[in-house]
Parts: sequence; C-alpha cells; structure tokens
Amino acid sequence: MATTEATTNGTMPNDRHTIGISFGNSNNSIAIAVDDKAEVIANEDGDRQIPAILSYVEGEEYTGQQAKAQLIRNSKNTVAYFRDFLGQDFASIDPTHSHASAHPQEHESTVAFNIQDKADSETSTVTVSEVATRLFKRLAQSASDYSGKTVNSAVITIPTNFSDKQKAALITAANNADLEVLQLIHEPIAAVLAYDAKNEHSGSDKVVVVADLGGTRSDVAVVAARNGIYTILATAHDYEFAGTALDVVLQDHFAKEFIKWNTTDPREEARSMAKLKLESEATKKALSIGTNANFSVESLAEGADFSSTINRLRYEMIARKVFDGFSRLIEGAVKKADLDVLDIDEVILSGGTSHTPKIARNMQSLFPKATVLAPSTTPTAINPSELQARGAALQANLIQEYEAEDIEQSTHAAVTTVKHLTNAIGVLSADDVFTPIIAAETAVPARRTIHISAPAAGDVLIKIVEGGSHIKISTIEPKPKDEADSDDSDDDSDEEPEEQREKVWKVGTVLAEASIKGIKKCGKVEVMINVAADLAVTVTAREVGGKGGLRGNITAP
Amino acid sequence: MSKHTEVELTLPALPQGWEAEGNFKALGKVTKATERSIEPVGPHFLAHARRARHKRTFSEDDK
Ligand SMILES: Nc1ncnc2c1ncn2[C@@H]1O[C@H](COP(=O)(O)OP(=O)(O)OP(=O)(O)O)[C@@H](O)[C@H]1O
Ligand SMILES: [Mg+2]
Repeated sequence: MATTEATTNGTMPNDRHTIGISFGNSNNSIAIAVDDKAEVIANEDGDRQIPAILSYVEGEEYTGQQAKAQLIRNSKNTVAYFRDFLGQDFASIDPTHSHASAHPQEHESTVAFNIQDKADSETSTVTVSEVATRLFKRLAQSASDYSGKTVNSAVITIPTNFSDKQKAALITAANNADLEVLQLIHEPIAAVLAYDAKNEHSGSDKVVVVADLGGTRSDVAVVAARNGIYTILATAHDYEFAGTALDVVLQDHFAKEFIKWNTTDPREEARSMAKLKLESEATKKALSIGTNANFSVESLAEGADFSSTINRLRYEMIARKVFDGFSRLIEGAVKKADLDVLDIDEVILSGGTSHTPKIARNMQSLFPKATVLAPSTTPTAINPSELQARGAALQANLIQEYEAEDIEQSTHAAVTTVKHLTNAIGVLSADDVFTPIIAAETAVPARRTIHISAPAAGDVLIKIVEGGSHIKISTIEPKPKDEADSDDSDDDSDEEPEEQREKVWKVGTVLAEASIKGIKKCGKVEVMINVAADLAVTVTAREVGGKGGLRGNITAP
Repeated sequence: MSKHTEVELTLPALPQGWEAEGNFKALGKVTKATERSIEPVGPHFLAHARRARHKRTFSEDDK
C-alpha cells in the first residue's frame, strides 16, 4: 500500500496507480489509460461490463456475472441495483428494482441489506456503503491483476443530478476500499471526452446531446462544447423508460406465449420470473445484433422447458412505447436548453441500451442535422457501454500527477463559474450575411481566429457584429398533381403543405468596424477575436502574409 | 499560435470616406452574459484552470 498523506488526504502523485471507473446501478466497468489511449479491461470472468451485483453463497463472495446468476436461486443473499441508494435516507430511495433481490432496509440514517454473508447461518446487516466498498475492492483487484500494480486511485463517473451527500457517500465507500478518489466527473462529460480524445476536431465548437440510456435510468445532457471546454446547458432524467422497461416488454411477450401452451404464468412465481427476466435481457441484447433472436429457458415453470424466437421488427413494434419515451425525454432536454433540434451537431448514444439499432434510427430522424454516434449508424462509434469508463480513465491520466490539493483548487467554483456569451460574435459579408467567429454559449475568456478569403483586390471593411440564430419555418405548397397520372390518388388530393424548418442568423448589435487597405487579389484576411473574462473584446486583423494590421478594443459592458 | 477556421466570403468594400484612428472604430458592446459552470474535465479545461490561477492571458500562455 502506498503512503497516505494525512494533510492532503491523498496518495502522493508518484505512488499513484490510477484507473477510470464507471459505477452504475446495473453495471460497473474499469478502464486504464496508457499514453492518452484508454482501454476497458475485463475482469477475471472476461467481462468488460461487470454486473454491479454482490452475492454470497455459504460465505463465499461473488460479483459480476456470477453474482447475477445467483438472482435465480439465491436472491435473498444477492444485492443488486443499489448505487443510487448511496448517501440517501431510506424514505427517499426507490426500491422498485430490488424486488427480486435483497430488500433495502432502513438502518440508522442510511440504507442496509440483511444478508447471510458468512459461512454460518447468521445474517448480517450490511450498509449500502459497505456493499459499495466491497465492490470497489473487487474492481480494484481486477485492475491490479490486469496491470500488475496495486491500483490505489480512481476517477469515478457520477450522474449530473447526484447530490453532495451522494457524492460524499461514494467517495467514502471508495476510500474504504483503499481507493483515493482523484475526481468525480459527470457521466455525459466522460462520454464526450472519450469521443473527443479520439477525434482530431475535438477543438471545434458544437452542441452535443448525450443520451445515456442505462438499465434503471435514462439521463440526457445537452452540452455546449467550445474548443474542448464543456458546459452543460440542460439535463433530463427518467426512471421509467430505461433498459429494464425493454426487458419487461419481452418478459410479457414470452410469458403470454408460454401461457398459450401451459397453464401457469411464469411471472407469478419468483424463480420462474427470475429466469424469464435473465433470458429476456439476453434476447434483447441479441436483437441489437441480429434480426432474429432465440429465447430459451429450461424448466421455466411447471417444470416445462420453453423456447421461442422473435424478430427485430416485432420487437420494435411491441417496444414502441418505450422507444417513444426515450425520444420524448431527449427532445425535452433540448427544449429545456432553449435550443431546437436543428441546433444539435452531435448525438452521443451512451449506456448499454444505446446498442439498440431502433433508438439510433429514431435519433437520426429526430436530429436531421446531427451526427448520431452509435454502433448501428457510425462504423467508428465507440462501444456505448465503454464510454464512461474510458472518459474517466482519460481524465485520470490527465490529472494523476497533480497533488490532491491542486485538483481540489482547480475544480473549485471560483475557477469553474464563468460568463458565457449570449450571442455569437462574427463578421458580415458584403451582402449582410453573418458568419460566426465565436459561438453563443462560449465560456470566456475565449479566443478564436478565422481566415477569410477575399476574392477581389482593394480596401475592405470588417464589420464585427453579434448574431443570434433562430428557426425559420416556411411552408412549401404541394405541387399540383397532373390529372393524367393521378387516376388513383384521391387521398393525395388535399395533401398537407410541407413545413420546412431551417436555422437562420439574425444580425444584432454592431460591435466594431475596421478597415484593411490594399489587399492583393485572392488575398486572405485574418481576424482574431479575444473576449476577456469581463467581456471586453480585443480585435486584431491583418492581411495574411502582409505587413502591419490593426488592433482595436471594445470596452466591457 | 492557435489554430484558425477558414471561411470564404466577400467582405464589403470600404465605403468612400471611411476614416478611423488606427483603422478601427468601436461601435457597441457585447450583450450581457450568463454565468454558468464549465466542467472541470479534459485537457482544454486544464489549460483554462492554469491561466485562471496564474492570471495569464492566451498570448502569454502561447509563449
Ligand atoms: N447489446 C445490448 N443491446 C441492448 N441493450 C443492452 C445491450 N447491452 C446492454 N444492454 C442493456 O443496457 C442496460 C445496462 O446499461 P449500462 O451498462 O449503461 O448500465 P448502468 O449505467 O449501470 O445502468 P443504470 O441505469 O441502472 O444505472 C441493461 O438494461 C442492459 O440489458
Ligand atoms: Mg449509467
């Protein structure tokens, strides 16, 4: 074990072996970054998505896939779906997902589980914090086995709506597993970072929607990415439409099929239900890859084996309500950010449920101007189940050399709370068309440079103005039909006029004018805009390759 | 020096009689801004935090 400094409560940078951890209600995953490249590592069972479950059989501890299998026979001593209970009192937790495993209990000011975790038949009261600590130990052990070094620190991802108490509880649970928490970072930002690290255009200005569709919850964040600086503009959360809701659709479907041939409903008996649930999830995952999937369970109920198949189209039909729920949630987040679907440049589909092809297709039609980053729409997409752990590992790699105190100071509100531009700042062309140089919602200080090709020689005026974008809606009347080819088109006759929506710029305040004289034919003008923390602006302009140039100041508002 | 974006557009010709000291006229001010939190994550944030804590500007940072 490395020495722990009492003063900083952190491991000394040189003794750190750091990983990134995504710690979900359904799954955990670990990544290690080497030379700016992150890799998600497998545990001893070969799993990269490690079910966040702890189970005890005669005092023996199991986690991951092995613990998940215990939900069938040993559900009482199996703890699952607990992450969101950390740092909460019993009255505020939602125990819905714990019905088929150890039930959460009120215990002092926290939540605990009564499980038989020792070889004797006594049950112990294990707090949710202790459950998390035990899982963190297992994750650290897997990472240590993989890397050959004792892993002792981590960057861990958290939802954007985690309270301070939940954050503190998560840190305590990790610390108790001998893991120093270098930083907690927001899940959607970890996902953006995982993509941007891979993308040479990471410095560009874009609005990104991160839809993190997990097992028990779906979380959406609308993020302004401005030259690699990320600002969350709005978030939305939902606990009804998530991966398990899709499992339920399949459970109901196969239960009804089963009833056709048998007399009992497998949903009415705990063990049958557990089997139905596990296999439905497996079938759902198979439908993300194939257009057909099997469902097959030995002794599902009444001792009867059951097998069936389902095709993807049918699945997409019966699960439509859930898919529509995802779309509504995501569209709602965009509205909350005061943006339009046309303002979105990128949609990152994150979380296990994001493997589903239908969801990616829905996003593509919801956001016509955006690149949808999901396995079925973009061949170079990163595995959505790995985004958060990768992002966390990249962040860990970036900051592992800093003292804990430095990290603390840099993440302080005094450094992170800054002004953001209300409007874009840009230049006007000869025919008054606005071209942005700095986008709205850019954090200041900020600096951007553009090169403008100026086709004609001579003296030019550079008009620096503010611009606001809005959506212009125009209707295109349907073309009148030719009588000749419309013998069977009675119902087309009163076709709705089509609505066309486009994003247009509106010129606002004129900030400054500048002149550059004697530009050569086919010359280039460079304009640099620097907005200081107090919104004072410095403009510099020159002919590229030319002598001189100008510099002007616009005072702060 | 930082990178730049290339755009193609026809700049207005300088109107007859346009004159300004240093070829520059300030005419307005930037609209009041909203305070928001930036996420303390990623290499670009690290550079921002370094500048903020040492009170350095972009161009001082370039050197
Ligand atoms: N290939 C796949 N196709 C469809 N769904 C999948 C696939 N892989 C995993 N899932 C689903 O993703 C969900 C788990 O998502 P994820 O691993 O992101 O969990 P998490 O963040 O821990 O979840 P939670 O929302 O409970 O906190 C499960 O419902 C699982 O069935
Ligand atoms: Mg999640």
